[in-house]
Amino acid sequence: MTIETSMLSLRKVYFIYSLLITSLFLLFILDLFLGSVSLNAADVWKALFSGADGHLETIIFKFRLPKAITALVVGIGLSLSGLQMQTVFRNPMAGPDVMGITSGASLGVAFVILGFSSDLSPDVLKGFGNWILVAASWAGAGAIMAVILFISARIKDIMTILILGIMLSSGISALVIIMQYFSSESLLKAYVIWTMGSLGNLTSDQLIVLVISVAAGIILSFASSKMLNALLLGENYAGSIGLNVKFARIVIFSCTSILAGSVTAFCGPVGFIGIAVPHIARIIFRSSDHKILIPATVFLGGSVMLISDIISQLPGSGKVLPLNAVTSLIGIPVVVLVILRNRKYSGIY
Amino acid sequence: MKNIILPVSVISKCLTACVSLIILLFLSCQGRNTQNNIDQISESQVIKLARGLSIEKHDNYSVVTVKNPWQGAEDISMVYYLVRKGSVNPLGIDSGQVIFVPLTGIICMSTTHIGMISALGEGNTIKGLSGTDFIYSPEIIKRVEKGLIDEVGYETNLNKELIIRISPDLVMIYGIGSESAGHVNKIRDLGISVMFNADYLETDPLAKAEWIKLFGALYCKEEMADSIFHAEVAEYNQIREFVIKNSDERPEVLLGLPFKDTWFISPGNSFVSKLIEDAGGNYLWKNTSSAFSMPYSLESVYIAALDADFWLNIGTVKSSEEISIVDKRLTDLKCFRDRNLYNNNNRITSRGGNDYWESGALRPHIILKDVAAILHPDIYPGYELFYYQRIN
Repeated sequence: MTIETSMLSLRKVYFIYSLLITSLFLLFILDLFLGSVSLNAADVWKALFSGADGHLETIIFKFRLPKAITALVVGIGLSLSGLQMQTVFRNPMAGPDVMGITSGASLGVAFVILGFSSDLSPDVLKGFGNWILVAASWAGAGAIMAVILFISARIKDIMTILILGIMLSSGISALVIIMQYFSSESLLKAYVIWTMGSLGNLTSDQLIVLVISVAAGIILSFASSKMLNALLLGENYAGSIGLNVKFARIVIFSCTSILAGSVTAFCGPVGFIGIAVPHIARIIFRSSDHKILIPATVFLGGSVMLISDIISQLPGSGKVLPLNAVTSLIGIPVVVLVILRNRKYSGIY
Repeated sequence: MKNIILPVSVISKCLTACVSLIILLFLSCQGRNTQNNIDQISESQVIKLARGLSIEKHDNYSVVTVKNPWQGAEDISMVYYLVRKGSVNPLGIDSGQVIFVPLTGIICMSTTHIGMISALGEGNTIKGLSGTDFIYSPEIIKRVEKGLIDEVGYETNLNKELIIRISPDLVMIYGIGSESAGHVNKIRDLGISVMFNADYLETDPLAKAEWIKLFGALYCKEEMADSIFHAEVAEYNQIREFVIKNSDERPEVLLGLPFKDTWFISPGNSFVSKLIEDAGGNYLWKNTSSAFSMPYSLESVYIAALDADFWLNIGTVKSSEEISIVDKRLTDLKCFRDRNLYNNNNRITSRGGNDYWESGALRPHIILKDVAAILHPDIYPGYELFYYQRIN
């Protein structure tokens, strides 16, 4: 395997970047216009740029704008962590959830919704949708991250870490299943709905925390692009050209934990975006160079998530689809494509 | 990098996602209600309002039919023959469908059945319950504490060995769905009679209360059950007519609480929608029809509810701060600003038992009077709410 800077010329790369940025911007605006309540486009425009009366302003600024920003940030965060995991584990099917970070977060949430609540219910329920869930989810993701970092500082072989990560993840899922088994219908429903993911429930404080976390993750990702490129050559080779492999792993794992952990904490385990988007980026740019892929993943991740959000709102219908179903249905064709084209695709991967 | 390690988990996630999407699409498209033909009410039939129940009286036995006993069931009828203990089975009947009455021991899978059994003075025949934590009735709680009533678990988690040890005359269950039939068959295999109860699917408050007649038949206390039901009907109708006559306003009512950004809305053909209509209220989604709660976006509910006058049945909320914790944007609603917030958790235990679900099933007139007094405080001056309380 070799790093291949894009087969496209630099000018073409910048041209595609500008197309992606434009579409990202347009999708962001479109997400404000299209919601489950149909609003007059002219009214939305007026509300955005010159203010409007109470209801419309509330819908735009309290519902749709925070949701669109969340979608953007979540898409970027998950896609970047997916890209990193695929490179570090040298596995095209890796995603943010491969290290058990997502299941760690799920365990935290399951404790709050299913575990504690069954004894203390229903008073604990009042914390739903707020900091209690976020804190629990973060604690769960953080605990798993600590375990993974501990393992990766001691174990040399990356495949062993991958297998341990998957085992850890399955073990945690088993614990969650036990909790689900012993919980009442209404709590089970609350938990299941959490696992379906949602973008529209963040308070402004939470949104700020999420944006800061993901921004930190993005900066860390750009900073680690050289390490990621070196890791593409295989850890042994990367070590031989002077990369401190364990240090690189710790940086990258921390980055992924911050990205995937905070996204899952606020929005639930949003699936498939993290696996699919890096592949879309590689296919478009025909490159495995992270200096090209990281910005591409940022733009594409945001766009795909905005599209998913627009679809999940079933514009005009008043009803909604669960976010995870939509992201999966968008992600599945990409994953299938990758599996089917694996031989051809490996040329650029 | 050619080794693909995770496809199985990926495929299973794909499948889960597809299935959940299909289910949701199916649910959201369900506009049909279980409208069955109940037009032909013959004289020999005892049931007038309940859609899911019919009881036919014969000389030595009665035939009970429970129709469509779970959400989404269509054209399913469960037939039971209630035969007096000591008499001979009527000819040509599958003995597996025979229940000998009066019952002396019963296991109930829902706490709503406690209220009806207790109303007939047969509370001491309850030998096992599912969800003993959620009982409200102090007498029944006492019996649980004394060890006279066992916790039998629920669904696939049923403690079958315990059920054999109790060996009741009947296990009364309510169906979540046909998939739960598996554990039902298992109990039947043990030689214990199982009966589906579908009272929770009734969309009319009085129809739900009419299920007392089923217990009347099971305990051979038909007359007592009839008189309880008729008194209930009379009181309910009297309140409804009084409210309609003495009030002009039809205040708008919002129900429930969102989870994240999805608000599961009770459809217009639901129990609670009918109740609000009878109490002189205008339920915001009264014109919808569905067999299930409908997933609406928070945004659309917010818009619809901006000027709602009252907000009822607000999850398990006990104070208005809890609502603002769930979602701060909800505090902008008019009903929140006016503190016109009422919840049906006035009579609850520390563990979560709520009398609204227990005795309320049999006493819809009290629920109706509560809601009427909330929506029209001037027509019931000084009335003290029973199942409901104001949320401050």
